[in-house]
Amino acid sequence: MLPRAEIAHWLFGAGFLFFGLVILSEAIVGPEVFRRRLWRACLSPSLALLAGVWLWVIAIFSTFSTLHLIAHSMWAQAATAAGAVQLAVVLGRLRSPYWSLVTSGVLFVSGAAFLVHEQNGWLFARSAFLHHLIGWTLIVASLLPLGEALRPRRPVWTVGLAATWIAIAVMLFSDRDVAPIFGHLSDLAGGGLP
Amino acid sequence: MRRALAAVACLALLLPAAASAHATMREATPAEQGRVETPPTEVRLRFDQAVTAPPRGIVVYAANGRVVSGAVTTERGGTVMRTFVKGLVRGEAYTVRWREISADGHVGTGVFTFGVGVDPPPPTEAVGASGMTWRDDVARWALFASLALLIGVVGIRLLVLPRTVDPRVERRVHMLGTFGAVAAVNAGILGFVLRSANALQVSGVDLLYADLSPFAESTRFGIAFLVTTLGFGVCLTILAVAWVLDQPALRWPAFLLALALVWGFPLSGHQATEPNSSLLGEVADWVHLVTAMLWVGGVLTLAVVVWPLAPALRRAAFLRFSRIAVGLIAVLVVAGTVVAIERLPEVADLWETSYGRTLLVKLGLVLVALSWGGIHHTFVRPRLERGESSPGVGRSLIGESAVAMAVLLAAAVLVNGAPPPVETGGDAAVSPRARS
Repeated sequence: MLPRAEIAHWLFGAGFLFFGLVILSEAIVGPEVFRRRLWRACLSPSLALLAGVWLWVIAIFSTFSTLHLIAHSMWAQAATAAGAVQLAVVLGRLRSPYWSLVTSGVLFVSGAAFLVHEQNGWLFARSAFLHHLIGWTLIVASLLPLGEALRPRRPVWTVGLAATWIAIAVMLFSDRDVAPIFGHLSDLAGGGLP
Repeated sequence: MRRALAAVACLALLLPAAASAHATMREATPAEQGRVETPPTEVRLRFDQAVTAPPRGIVVYAANGRVVSGAVTTERGGTVMRTFVKGLVRGEAYTVRWREISADGHVGTGVFTFGVGVDPPPPTEAVGASGMTWRDDVARWALFASLALLIGVVGIRLLVLPRTVDPRVERRVHMLGTFGAVAAVNAGILGFVLRSANALQVSGVDLLYADLSPFAESTRFGIAFLVTTLGFGVCLTILAVAWVLDQPALRWPAFLLALALVWGFPLSGHQATEPNSSLLGEVADWVHLVTAMLWVGGVLTLAVVVWPLAPALRRAAFLRFSRIAVGLIAVLVVAGTVVAIERLPEVADLWETSYGRTLLVKLGLVLVALSWGGIHHTFVRPRLERGESSPGVGRSLIGESAVAMAVLLAAAVLVNGAPPPVETGGDAAVSPRARS
């Protein structure tokens, strides 16, 4: 019944890559040009909302430990909250730049959930290393929307966010359940055995 | 102070990174909730990484609680734990309780059953599993209260209030409905985890690393949990989109989906599992739940949305809700009576069993709530119809809402309790918590 973990990671990697490229496009041409078409303005928040629904699917497949179930449900709620707020911002329903703080909080909570849900140390296996890296990347990236809230409309925040999602996509593509990292694989890993 | 808080937050994030090596069980032989035709001679558990087997790492119990397993050993570099079993006979079901110590010192736990020549019972009926506790009742109550917000408040907005209302009313309805969806999904997760913990017999950190998959995949409540979690997640997204696009009509699909998801309760509860269950009972249970949520949600909407935010809307909203409340309560009582008759075939069960006594408490609270509503209907409604002011109604509605919440708590205790055994063709379905 359970899909293999790396397949879920690759699917999300593809989604995040597209998401990052959309944000990067907006950063390159500027929000005024990018948001001339409504569908383009709504694209990245809608993707976040869609990711929220997809994460619920993953959550219900994650009952092999209580921790995984809770972590995936947190990501699902975080993606829904961030997507809804961002969609409301691009549609003009919410106007204050301080709404970026929601995205900041969501990134922080998501990063913390990544770190808490990874039960292994950094060098246990490749997936463990990347989970830690993704967790810390998200926590550091939570500063970007914070910057957007305090100093709005500076391209550096958008470029930073786009780079974050592209980097996370690469990390997820590199993810495998058990594989050496820097030539190291914990003796405890045991995944290569039948 | 801020620096101290930041330091604590950073430490909290570093702690999980320092944890190492926690294992997950990948395969069991015999399979979890599986049926084998010949008695096995060993039980093997394969993990995704090496584990240390504690002295009683695998214990296999016969249905009467007798231990049929021996010492535990590991092989294949510690990734497989095994124990020999003896004295297993055809026609019996067995419980396997396992514990492993991962490299980080965390103890992974799990429980499953298997049958030899028979279908095994669900893991909730494993040897050593305990019944529901007050924590399950609180989680169920939280779920019911969340549904009262999601179905009740959103439903009353769609069915009772005018198409165009004060934006503040619309905002609060959005807020309460969305909060209801978030709370429903989290209360559902909490209820599922607690119910699994009763069978696993673990708590605290051990529960965080416990394997819940046998409960999710092999029990009615687990399957209902999977479907409703996904469904309420979708409801949450639809409500968020309705708010963002300012399209109240988009709440219809969320409302209808939530109504459909309530069907998960009768399908996984007594109405589907007791020996004398019937389709009529399941339908009556669903109708009972839905009408209760609409009634409670309606009173809540009047108390916390219409009265404080829209004085101009009070009269119309109260009169409209008053009209449909009579019908709702009639259907609620009829459906509840059908369910009660099915669960309590003898009148004496009402005072002789704990289930019956809980039902009496619930009926008492319902009578208080109905009397409160009756006073509103008899005294407040005519005054509002005449256009006269009716001071104190807002506070009275809050009081009625509080009683309605108490009714939901009694309903949660009742749903989690076991009804008295029902004789069906000479067999009695004995439930441990029924007769006290």
